[in-house]
Amino acid sequence: MYAWIWRHLPGPLVVRILTAVVLVAGVVALLMFVVFPWVEPKLPFNQVTTE
Amino acid sequence: MTTLDTGGHTPDGLVGPEEPPKRADTARTVVRGIGELLITAGLVVLLFVVYEVYVTDIVSAGKQRDATTALDNTWGQPDTVAEPERVERFTDLGEGTGFAKMHIPAFGLDYGFTVIEGTTEKSLEIGPGHYRGTAYPGEPGNFAVAGHRVGKGAPFNDIDLLNSCDAILVETHYSWFVYRVLPKSEEVVGWATGKGTDPRCQGVAPLGGPYEGLVGQQIVRPSQGEVIAPIPGKVGAESSVGERATLMTLTTCHPRFSDRQRLIVHAVMVKQWAKDPAKPGETPPELKETS
Repeated sequence: MYAWIWRHLPGPLVVRILTAVVLVAGVVALLMFVVFPWVEPKLPFNQVTTE
Repeated sequence: MTTLDTGGHTPDGLVGPEEPPKRADTARTVVRGIGELLITAGLVVLLFVVYEVYVTDIVSAGKQRDATTALDNTWGQPDTVAEPERVERFTDLGEGTGFAKMHIPAFGLDYGFTVIEGTTEKSLEIGPGHYRGTAYPGEPGNFAVAGHRVGKGAPFNDIDLLNSCDAILVETHYSWFVYRVLPKSEEVVGWATGKGTDPRCQGVAPLGGPYEGLVGQQIVRPSQGEVIAPIPGKVGAESSVGERATLMTLTTCHPRFSDRQRLIVHAVMVKQWAKDPAKPGETPPELKETS
């Protein structure tokens, strides 16, 4: 999977590395700011109130 | 002694160079793909832990700071009320508005949080949240506050470590209210001759009457909402406002990282200090009980 993505990144090595870093950062940001805040209240970790 | 395995490789038995390597390649790609997916999933879970424990702290710290600034601004405004009646008014508080500050000197001088109105996810992200409908600081009844124990600033991270008689100070616009944790269940018997003799425990004793059996710390099921009732544990047990004790209740999750149970701390008000308008910034002596 990752090898396939790597093969399809265009440009010379330096550009490929930079693109890869940006892609990883994008995925991490998506997780941190969209996915995790959405999924967090649905998980049984941090309910502090009584009903 | 070993025998070299030299047999079985007749020229006819040699594998063809075309077909099998291709099949092996496909298998390898699939296995590698699954492996990469599993490793990715593991990294995502690790990242979630980082998010939950650290990133939410940073976000909440910013929101808490904003709420504190807003509250300080409100308190800093010149009084519209005439001087003699410096009385708290907690009317029309919107969800998510800060209205008081709580300090627990046992957790250090820097332990202070602005208490937010309401206990929705959003409010609790800012700081400890006041259960709507329960009493306000200093009022007879039960001033009930929920707070996160993991992440989001984790204001109630250590409330399991609170001992009986530890002070919980609630600062409002005009007053300081001193609440103290009630005796724990194992201390109730022999309180008067035991821990109760500590000068800090003045005003703290196992409560009687309808409050019989109320202790400083308990662990309950999430459905036991009665712990924040005016008479904790007894919903509907009416008592006239005049004979109500002035209590404070903290709730958080228990055990850490789980929502299986709730940790509850009950405290009783022992003292009230009116803020002296002539001496702004004056703090009550209880705030120095850091050990």
